[in-house]
Amino acid sequence: MMSAPSQTETWTISIDKEADIVAVRQQARELAKELHFDQFAVAALTTAASELSRNVWVHAQRGVARIRILRNGNRVGVELEFVDHGPGIADLNRVLAGGFSTSRSLGLGLSGTKRLVDEFDIDTQPGRGTTIVIRKWKKEF
Amino acid sequence: MQQARQPNYMEILKLDDDELRKRLAFYELTDEDFKRLNSLKSFADRWTHEITEGLYELIMGQPESREFFPDQATLARVKKMQNSYFLGLFSGTYDLNYVRDRLRVGMAHERIGMPPKLYLGAYRRYLALIHERLLDHFKDNVTEATRALESIRKVIFFDMALAIDTYIAAYLETMTRHQAAIRELSTPVIKVHDRILLLPIVGTVDTQRAHQIMETVLVQVVEEQAKVMILDIAGVPVVDTKVADHILKTTAAVQLLGGQTILTGISASVARTVVELGVEITRMHTRAKLSEGIELALSIVGKKIAPKTAHAGGEGA
Amino acid sequence: MAAGPIPILKIGATLLATIQIELHDTVVDSFQNDVLEQIEKTGARGLIIDISALETVDSYVARMLANTAKMAKLMGTNTVIVGMRPAVAATLVRMGYYMEGITTALSLEEGLKLQSNGSEPTDDERS
Repeated sequence: MMSAPSQTETWTISIDKEADIVAVRQQARELAKELHFDQFAVAALTTAASELSRNVWVHAQRGVARIRILRNGNRVGVELEFVDHGPGIADLNRVLAGGFSTSRSLGLGLSGTKRLVDEFDIDTQPGRGTTIVIRKWKKEF
Repeated sequence: MQQARQPNYMEILKLDDDELRKRLAFYELTDEDFKRLNSLKSFADRWTHEITEGLYELIMGQPESREFFPDQATLARVKKMQNSYFLGLFSGTYDLNYVRDRLRVGMAHERIGMPPKLYLGAYRRYLALIHERLLDHFKDNVTEATRALESIRKVIFFDMALAIDTYIAAYLETMTRHQAAIRELSTPVIKVHDRILLLPIVGTVDTQRAHQIMETVLVQVVEEQAKVMILDIAGVPVVDTKVADHILKTTAAVQLLGGQTILTGISASVARTVVELGVEITRMHTRAKLSEGIELALSIVGKKIAPKTAHAGGEGA
Repeated sequence: MAAGPIPILKIGATLLATIQIELHDTVVDSFQNDVLEQIEKTGARGLIIDISALETVDSYVARMLANTAKMAKLMGTNTVIVGMRPAVAATLVRMGYYMEGITTALSLEEGLKLQSNGSEPTDDERS
């Protein structure tokens, strides 16, 4: 995929209570706005951040979110990484392929969230936990 | 000097401490060079005026460059800037402020439209003028003169790179603006009537364009408080599942805002394709012709097109 | 009227709730309680939820709004969501949330019109 982006600042927010979801969301939003992403991209990134941090809280009760600015050539982007040591996702393919459901079962909203970002990497093992990395690049032209 | 919203060239060119360090290293600019340059400050003070004059003698000798300096006031101002630029070469401090300053000079030249060939030619003359006077300054010590010239050459090349960078950054900025303008033109949302908008979509719709269409449509619907959005697709050559999906999403989004969509310009083949693909369109208003769509839109907002009554009094109200 | 973090006003026979804060569990719970309490107290037939200040509506908030509307409906009150931002609408549909079953309107004014036109928006106004 992409060569390792040169990284600058990183924000780390631990997720172990519901209010932390708001903290992650606000940090992502502020950053996207500072980097002058357009309103639709800001909303997409913020919503993705919210969905994924809520997933961490709901399924693993604790985890961490790391937010980084990415630079690659002329481009600037934002990367969010969510790490938890929760139950992991058993049937990843089905979860990623499916639409959404209104119940609270595992891995929800992932397929929807995937569509909001440019890059979506997930590493999960039932019983070991889940790491999800998403990236969104600012539209240049 | 008036400044319109300046794009942040430092950001565009990613000129941070890291990049600065890399560049200084590549141009082999060391502390020794900085010290040497700083020690030549008095040399610089002595010769800056003459060197600037020599430089502009060359520039003004070129008929095409004269247009950049239309009057004496401009020329005087530019020469003054050139003097401080020259002195800056010998400041001994080459940090991000120095870089920012150099970029500003480059930007000023780019803004007046001075082409790189003239700019670089000027630097060449600069070096020649400095060389002459350096030999004179160190007349009994050729080694020192050469070392001094080398340090000056390094910093001048370093500056030239920055100057060229500003041209590149400026072109990038222009291209970005043009692209934005093209995108705007390709999504002309028209207000047909109070609270009724129309977007004729012409040409192929790829994912990027579809995104842009949805975004423009939604922003306009809210801005105009449009109750009805007419999307005419008569000009879309191919309507496959992807395009149909994009249209559906846009329709759904308009509905979420509280508006309605009418899809018009549906040809027989598009109708066939959509049904065969099993695309769900029951919740959308559709019409074959744009005119029918407009009539429906008007009825939704409680209006209609009616013939003028032929009363005595004819024209006017 | 309601003392919670989300103000609920009465406009004629309609309740107007304006959401201007970040939403999470406790806020949502007290909001829903407040709404139902107010419906009971005032006998309002309509509820308008103004989300024009919400920059982010994720699946949680979307579910919350839908559930609030369902609860209100059980008590005989119709809900209209107004003021959704363009970026919010785009994000929801891109995720695949079409919020079917929820009635929306462009503005508070339109929402009130819908409420006063009768208990249900007519077919003409809702496609």
